Amino acid sequence: MRAKLLAVAELRTRLLWRRFLARGGIGEGVARATLLLLAVPAGLAFAIVLGVGTFQAVRMPGGLRSDVTATAVFLGIWQSWTAVSLSLSDREGVDLRRFLLYPIPPGRVYALGLASGFAGDPVSLFWLLLLAGVFGGAAFARPGPWLLLLALLLVLFAVATALYVALLEEVLSLALGNRRIREWAFVLSVALSVGLIGLLIASSDRPLRAFARALPTLRVAQWVAWPGAFAASAARHLYAGRLEPSLPWLAALAGGAGVAGRLSFAVALWQARSGGEGAARARGAGDAHLPLPIGGARGALVEKEVKCLLRHPLARISAVLVPAVAAVVGYAVEPRIPEDAGEVVRALPLFALAVYTHLALQPFWLNAFGWERGGARLTFLAPLGAADVLWAKNAVLGLYSVVLFATSVLLLIVSGRPAAAWSLPAAAALHLGTAPYLYGVGNLVSIVNPKAASFAVRRNASVPALSGLAGLGVLSSVSALFSLPVLLALRTESPWVLVAGWVALGVLGALLYSRTLPLAAGLLGRRRDELLPVVCGDDA
Amino acid sequence: MLAIETRGLSRLFDGKPAVSGLDLKVVQGAFYGFLGPNGAGKSTTIKMLTGLLRPSGGEARVLGVDLARDAAAVKSRIGVVPDGLALFERLSGPEMLRIHGQLYGLDRTTSARRASELLEALELAGEGAKLVQDYSHGMKKKLALGCALIHGPELLFLDEPFEGIDAVAVSGIRRMLQELVARRALTVFLTSHVLEVVERLVTHVGIIHRGRLAAQGTLEEVRASGSLEETFIRMVGEERSEAPGLSWLGPLRSGADR
Repeated sequence: MRAKLLAVAELRTRLLWRRFLARGGIGEGVARATLLLLAVPAGLAFAIVLGVGTFQAVRMPGGLRSDVTATAVFLGIWQSWTAVSLSLSDREGVDLRRFLLYPIPPGRVYALGLASGFAGDPVSLFWLLLLAGVFGGAAFARPGPWLLLLALLLVLFAVATALYVALLEEVLSLALGNRRIREWAFVLSVALSVGLIGLLIASSDRPLRAFARALPTLRVAQWVAWPGAFAASAARHLYAGRLEPSLPWLAALAGGAGVAGRLSFAVALWQARSGGEGAARARGAGDAHLPLPIGGARGALVEKEVKCLLRHPLARISAVLVPAVAAVVGYAVEPRIPEDAGEVVRALPLFALAVYTHLALQPFWLNAFGWERGGARLTFLAPLGAADVLWAKNAVLGLYSVVLFATSVLLLIVSGRPAAAWSLPAAAALHLGTAPYLYGVGNLVSIVNPKAASFAVRRNASVPALSGLAGLGVLSSVSALFSLPVLLALRTESPWVLVAGWVALGVLGALLYSRTLPLAAGLLGRRRDELLPVVCGDDA
Repeated sequence: MLAIETRGLSRLFDGKPAVSGLDLKVVQGAFYGFLGPNGAGKSTTIKMLTGLLRPSGGEARVLGVDLARDAAAVKSRIGVVPDGLALFERLSGPEMLRIHGQLYGLDRTTSARRASELLEALELAGEGAKLVQDYSHGMKKKLALGCALIHGPELLFLDEPFEGIDAVAVSGIRRMLQELVARRALTVFLTSHVLEVVERLVTHVGIIHRGRLAAQGTLEEVRASGSLEETFIRMVGEERSEAPGLSWLGPLRSGADR
């Protein structure tokens, strides 16, 4: 059995190595190395912060501050770990289906896949550094044998969170891979959003916020994040020197990890053996016409983009994730910003949301052809202008982004506090104004460094590492550019300067976009020989 | 008049020739079978003739138009079923056909009407809202053929249309193609490995081997006195010696055992 597992490990290593040697592989390798280099200092910086917090919590155990620190640290790491794994991380998962042929227990292959996926992801180092910071802070505060239990707690927390993420990926893959469930989930999420917006409009004295606070389920909801909640409960006891009461929480963490691992494997195996969506025949005529004001080939391109985007699992995850993040920020973060911090500072969550929405949708603007598969050939076979193809992609994504942002802003306001009159147009100007810059650069990145992306959520293979790095660069640059009017607004204490500044930058961006679109279209025409084999999967 | 004419058409990949000095002549109204073993350069040639791949050298005229000068004018007059197909998997079959027609310049109403007729003709009308990703391989091939036909092309390029589909689907597609050539004066340029099917379909043949044209002409001219398969194997086939070793698979059976 050991020889067989070694063969699987060798196979995965060789495939990874070949990928680096393949076309564009060196760039991918450089991007991964850069990500690793970024993860280390960032991880160290955050580890120091967590270490200092833990040091204080252990020195002053039993108090509210100690409890809050333990809860914030573990739930914070859990939340970031889960969100990053589901949206950004380029972790390589094992495709169980391919290994069912071999005489190797699928459970071992799955475990090996999880372990190698974790080890091969540069972001893993970041999480481990954070946990090392927690341990370091505790060790400095109170050395002693209790640290063995803390070390066990941190290891169990890491394993439980990794398995929790694996389970979440498998369940999402299952739910979003089944068309019927997908349709209902989407309808439900839209109905919930519309319902909340309706309630907001119908209420004049903000009863919704009081209602939300009264919801007893909110306290129960923390157990959805059980790895963080169990670990925080155990840590609170350990920090206070109560070793025995921490043991049930440690056992619960280990048990939870075991159950999550077992369940995620069961779902993965079931999916691997079920062979995809099957041949369930959908009812209806099969051609839902979209009434669009644009005719001709451009209209057809837009309709195709709308349908493909709305049927994409990642777009549907964003439709749930981004408004949910907005609601949490409104409920948990906004009230903690002091009243005297100034209007601009109080509006920062709103502005962050304007940029975060673009970040959540970055797979679509950084790898615009990634999901086209054979359909990408039509771009070159049909008598279409390449500029029209790019424009249609950008326009549809931009529209979707605006709808997502508007819904999220409403939820942020519902769960938080009223926004200043100037902040809404400012946030709209920021969201709309940054889009032309991001999409303009995204077009070039999509053409120069494409990747055949998987529709499965669990593989997280939507953006090449190099493109991800380019996305990070352009987002940072554009954010820096748009922060200039913020400085001016703070100096002049006039928020409307911010609105004017962002509108001006947005207009400049739109002009630059319209000028560079023909250049991007020309590049698309010249790069067809390189792009098509990659996105159509001919390279495989 | 020639539907396709190439002079010295070539394509290099990493400095190695995939197609070299190809001089093709396909008359209008012909059913042209372009044959060759795996890796001979058939798909590369089709990709160059349809605008999916830039030639490294030479010229190509399709329907009298120089591809290098006015590819857009050619594209609206040809239909293509490329190797690997050109379908958007998240559209339903009817959506794919209708939108495809609109991308080729048809108005929405005409495209929807033709899509409906094609779905009936291709026996895909009962699939409703099922997405293309859920279609079987044979259904995808039929749908791709429908896409290639919806705008009423003058010239049809089909890259391995019979590969990976069952005998019933092959028969249906073959019947449809025969009718298109016979009644509608369409020119068809087709590559295939299935020589017996090709022999029953085509009027003209070109054989490509290692990127070079080995033979070209009418079916009768190329196969001379033998069958197309015999001619093909004579031109491109290589003698293969018996595999050495493999004794661990068990002892060889004697002639009497077989």
